[in-house]
Amino acid sequence: MKKIRNVMLIMGIMIVTLTACGQPKKERYEASFLELFDTVTKVVAYSESKEEFSSKMDLIYAELEVYHQLYDIYHDYEGISNIKTINDQAGISPVKVEQKIIDLLYYAKDMYELTDGELNIAFGSVLRLWHEERTAGIDNPEDAKLPDPETLKEKALHCDINQMIIDEENSTVYLSDPDMRLDVGAIAKGYATEMISRYMIEIGLENSMISVGGNVRTMGMKVDDSMTQQPWSVGIQNPDTSSENQTLYILNLSNQSLVTSGVYERYYTVNGKQYHHIIDKDTLMPANYYESVSIICENSGLADVLSTSIFNMPYEQGAALIEQLEGTEALWILSDGTQKKSDGFDALIKQ
Amino acid sequence: MKKNDITLIAIIVVIVMIFFVFYAFQKETGSTLVVTVDGEFYQEYSLHENQTITIEDEDGHKNVFEIKDGVATMIEASCPDKLCISQRPISFNHETIVCLPNKVVLTVENAKTSEVDMISQ
Repeated sequence: MKKIRNVMLIMGIMIVTLTACGQPKKERYEASFLELFDTVTKVVAYSESKEEFSSKMDLIYAELEVYHQLYDIYHDYEGISNIKTINDQAGISPVKVEQKIIDLLYYAKDMYELTDGELNIAFGSVLRLWHEERTAGIDNPEDAKLPDPETLKEKALHCDINQMIIDEENSTVYLSDPDMRLDVGAIAKGYATEMISRYMIEIGLENSMISVGGNVRTMGMKVDDSMTQQPWSVGIQNPDTSSENQTLYILNLSNQSLVTSGVYERYYTVNGKQYHHIIDKDTLMPANYYESVSIICENSGLADVLSTSIFNMPYEQGAALIEQLEGTEALWILSDGTQKKSDGFDALIKQ
Repeated sequence: MKKNDITLIAIIVVIVMIFFVFYAFQKETGSTLVVTVDGEFYQEYSLHENQTITIEDEDGHKNVFEIKDGVATMIEASCPDKLCISQRPISFNHETIVCLPNKVVLTVENAKTSEVDMISQ
């Protein structure tokens, strides 16, 4: 009898183990989209089935597409007034827009204050010149040239964010300077990522992660094969893309964002020299303090703004800004390759 | 415990071990490279056969990639920015190389999981 009980006990253990596998255990899935924000969006999440995951990805895609169209400065969409529409109507008339645009523009104004004018979405006329030359230079490398310095200076006179008039009651935005243009490239992706991350939690993806073109937002924890929870592992790209090591550091992140701005992201070559896409508002040329700047904080919109703004600031100024913001860490890779870290950065590194 | 019990436990342990070894082995050798073009499945290639593959459409969009010793690399592309060529070789599960202009995506499947879940770039 005792022997039978022993065997039953072992069988009992086996059944428990088997049902643990057979239960609707959540599996890890990944998806990527190519069409939005002119970049690659990746999502990692846990679902009970591939079908469930796919249907949630459809929801996320649709939601992100709304932001993509509203915040687009280069394309028109039928029946939609977006930021390009506001630009096209500069000096002509106010444009009625959706609340999602007004919210972004208010956030951008706050960020203008926070960064002492470094993050300025009214800088569009200058950035457009660079964008046009860069696009032409990539298509025809032999004819690549820099924007004309005089034209840059002339355009820089039309970058006053106070000329952006938001009428909240009538939901309209008006650029009173006809030569001014909005460019939300340093904020829109991060802001939209933050909004989508909240939506992902709403639809039940508490443990998940999204990256919109390298703007990484983590939610909750990662669940490994043994069902234990641990922080997500997010790497910081090595700005030396020819190095054997793809990442400089791997960080443990949970409910945090990591955004990196680097010289290797978008650039073109003129007379053998590379010119990247982050333009200093004072010199009107690509900023040359750093190879890359990475920011870690909860809000992906703030991380996006800070990574670009601090890329354009001397180290002391950027470090002072990071210091005053609670829960915000930074890594600077200087042009000569030396690294600077904020006080709490090392504690995030995965051992 | 009787001798038979020990034998039974030993047998179970051995079965479990065989299962795990088999599972791990299968994960190693079953890894593939899945190619999609414009969101549609195009072809799946074993990562364990060294080969060079060219994808070309009638509009002249062209991508050439190489599979060598379990690692895939984009070596040639018709796109203007050539960012896909400068992307790193891929070998871990779910790693991708994307050619955005040509909408070509290479994804590793059924391979070992990378230590890193995502990269901020």
